Amino acid sequence: MKITQIAGFLGCGKTTLLLKLSRKIAGEGERKIALVVNEIGEIPVDGKIFEESGMQVKDIGGGCICCEVASTFAKTIYRLYKDFNPDHVLVEPTGVAVPHQVKLAARMGSRDAKISIGPAIVLFDATRPAELLDMDMLGQLVTTQIKDADVIAISKVDAVDEAAVSESAQRVREYNAKADICNLSSFSGTGLDQLTDIILSWEA
Amino acid sequence: MADPTASDGHGCYTEYGVSGYGVAAKLSRKELMNEDFVKNMAESMMVSIAQNCMELGARCIGHIKSHIRTEAGTIKADTIGASHGSYSNGHLTKPVKELFIAINSIVQGIPEEAVKAATLEGLHEVSEQRGLFVIKEKEHTYFDEFDFVASKKDYIKQLEEQLQQTDDEDTSNGNG
Repeated sequence: MKITQIAGFLGCGKTTLLLKLSRKIAGEGERKIALVVNEIGEIPVDGKIFEESGMQVKDIGGGCICCEVASTFAKTIYRLYKDFNPDHVLVEPTGVAVPHQVKLAARMGSRDAKISIGPAIVLFDATRPAELLDMDMLGQLVTTQIKDADVIAISKVDAVDEAAVSESAQRVREYNAKADICNLSSFSGTGLDQLTDIILSWEA
Repeated sequence: MADPTASDGHGCYTEYGVSGYGVAAKLSRKELMNEDFVKNMAESMMVSIAQNCMELGARCIGHIKSHIRTEAGTIKADTIGASHGSYSNGHLTKPVKELFIAINSIVQGIPEEAVKAATLEGLHEVSEQRGLFVIKEKEHTYFDEFDFVASKKDYIKQLEEQLQQTDDEDTSNGNG
């Protein structure tokens, strides 16, 4: 069971990507997929959307899985392993979660289970790079997310021109020299195959 | 590095000034509402809430998301800020007179009470403008026992029962 997180700040397109990506990874019934969705607003709107898609979904509300409800997340991972044993668990943390903290919490759940940690894929919204990076408090959070990424997906590339995409890529590269950077549009499908391949072939 | 299991009642996001608020409500209208009407109403509501938050001092809209359930299908609408516009999808198979809506607002720069005020104002203002009545509302829940595979009759009963709990709690608290 491999655990992959789709992280990134609020509104960057995580939910839309997760819906598309989960179907791609599942293939034609080749792999069992489970989704873990976490929201801090205490109303798991996204979880309800995923449930309608027919996926195995675990909602975690009431706080952030990287801190407040990390132990709940760890227990959820373990229970998924025992009860459903999917090939892949795709995790959508809150938009304010810190990816390395989510990894730590996932590892807690893997003590008694055969679990591997997949990549931390962090989305960066190409439609508002300045809004995200240049504000004092938010900028710190977003740059922390970028620094923790194994893969950075520049999202919503269909909504901006090539120059804006390049600008976003350059800006995130300043904070993370190692991560793979790819372009993503969940609407047009750009980058979906690449991310699927990365997740499937990833070895921690 | 912080202990990921530690909890002091505040999330990592609080230090970044991020606050969230969620509310669920039942809305009703005398005239039928088709898919376009519901989508347009939901999109306006998302933008209205975002604008209200900014007017109250928010620095950034994380997201305002909504999920609408009716006997004829589901509509989702969201925004990441008024200047970004709003987006909706979903489908209704026929016009409806009633709907259940859940809204989740996550915003940076204002406290939860302000996010709550902005969200409720947007919910009520846009509803009123479009001729809808807010029949019931309940914060911090999302129809917890909601079962999407239940029959239409059953899920409406589930939603009604959960919203009814609020009435009972309010009454027992002397707020009824």
